[in-house]
Amino acid sequence: MSKVPRVFRGRRHLLWLLVPYVLYLGALPLVNRVHPVVFGIPFLFFWMLAATLATPLAVWLAYRGDRRRRT
Amino acid sequence: MNAAVATSVFGVFMVATVALGLLAVRGRGSQGGLTEWSVGGRSLGPVFIWVLMAGESYTSFSYLGAAGWGYNFGAPVLYVLAYLSCGYAVGYVVGPMLWAYARRHDLVGITDMIAHRYASPRLGALVAVLATVCLLPYIQLQITGMGVVVSTISYGAISLYWAYFLGFAVTTGFVVVSGLRGSAWVSVLKDVLVIGTLGFLACYVPFHYFGGYGELFRRLTEEKAQWLTFPGHTSGGLGESWFITTSLLNSLTVVIFPTTVAGYLSARDADALRRNAIALPFYQVLLLVPILLGMAALFVVPGLTGAGSNLALFQLITDSLPAWAVGIIGVAAALSSIVPMAVFMLVIGTMWGRSVLGAVPRLAGRQKLWSQVVVVAAGSLALLLTYTLPNTLVRLSLISYEGMAQLVPMLLLGLLWRRLTLAGALSGLLAGGAVVCWLVFTDRDPLWGVNAGLLALALNVAVALAVTYALPAPADTRPDDEVLAQEALPAA
Repeated sequence: MSKVPRVFRGRRHLLWLLVPYVLYLGALPLVNRVHPVVFGIPFLFFWMLAATLATPLAVWLAYRGDRRRRT
Repeated sequence: MNAAVATSVFGVFMVATVALGLLAVRGRGSQGGLTEWSVGGRSLGPVFIWVLMAGESYTSFSYLGAAGWGYNFGAPVLYVLAYLSCGYAVGYVVGPMLWAYARRHDLVGITDMIAHRYASPRLGALVAVLATVCLLPYIQLQITGMGVVVSTISYGAISLYWAYFLGFAVTTGFVVVSGLRGSAWVSVLKDVLVIGTLGFLACYVPFHYFGGYGELFRRLTEEKAQWLTFPGHTSGGLGESWFITTSLLNSLTVVIFPTTVAGYLSARDADALRRNAIALPFYQVLLLVPILLGMAALFVVPGLTGAGSNLALFQLITDSLPAWAVGIIGVAAALSSIVPMAVFMLVIGTMWGRSVLGAVPRLAGRQKLWSQVVVVAAGSLALLLTYTLPNTLVRLSLISYEGMAQLVPMLLLGLLWRRLTLAGALSGLLAGGAVVCWLVFTDRDPLWGVNAGLLALALNVAVALAVTYALPAPADTRPDDEVLAQEALPAA
């Protein structure tokens, strides 16, 4: 049971993939608010937009980890 | 006059859609069999994969439901954005894993994978039947969604009933012949139109009605603050915990959803899927447009209720734009029904052709033909039910996603953990499925503010583990490599 499935072995950089979960779900209680308004956008909607733009970056960091491991 | 212009634009594009779908397989003859038809011969490159998977995620819900939720509730609609983004991150691992498994063992869908993993064609057939029950309502949702759009943008010239039929006919017209490759080609047209029209609307509508974004946001903040945070406006329990649990559950479900998996399996190599997982979240920015415009409609067309609120976006469009532009936006919305509908019909056909009818030795020789027959049958059934008993499938659609979620342990845990037994996985699936049906049909979803499907999934896993450990391990002599998923290696 303690054996890590082969798909994940040696791929600690996959933890980057948890970033969207932290931004969208984990942080929700802190960001569920109208103020401060950023660039005119109510805060919750601004945060969701920022999280949507940050997700590709997080997935790319995981991808970079995979590439490094292979070379 | 308006009706004639918009309807003509629409008609031309629908003919073009069928033609494009059919052209996709020109010169390929009937080679390749089921693998070519169901998963494009596992040959699509990164661009096609992106177009196809973005196309699948942007359905008629995005134009109608997202605007309608924005109009009625506000913030809760953001769950769509959250679960798709999280799902793409999970898909970074799961996509290549399923792709490699399917390629290695020559499989074409999740029912096929399950049958292989547990060495039980019967289990594959059972899962195919259950998954079909969850998928049929989606075909109807696309048919009715397209019907509403088409009858609105034709200014009523095309009646709802004809519009339903059109949706079915156009989709069936190409998918039966050209399968997933045809859907990918049509997705190209769709994505160009969707990105173009939504980009235009994002610039045009706020300036036309409010003089700019600043004023729109100022009025929302001052007059509609209730819409801007959870639990939103009169959403009936769609608070923070509902958002978190629903997004979590859906993000795990979307990666095994049969239509998503069809996209994964069509990839040329695993790296195309990994790059795709990076690029896909950008498409979700477009989802903010109908959400925002749905909320803007609060000021322009107040007082929409029920099904009328789903048309919040189209009310703005028909109110402020000339007929030809209305027609083009209508085409983009209609294609957002057609592409997902095509893939839904395709995966139902594939599941039956491979795992149900294909499991009968006497029929196994013609799997592609049976799949095509089932595509027409499933589409016709959904169309017929739309006409005669629309509420049956609407009610069923409530359990679709949460029901499909119950396959996550059987498929993903099964592919990662050898000890999980057929008896355990099946017991978990049935327990989870029963809880979903019970909670949803007795109006207890969300329960204690938590998504009922997630509660059912927890029970599902608990039962699967308990049964697995309680019974002796069965004698399956195949090596681990044969049964479990491997990490997909980079293309040579």
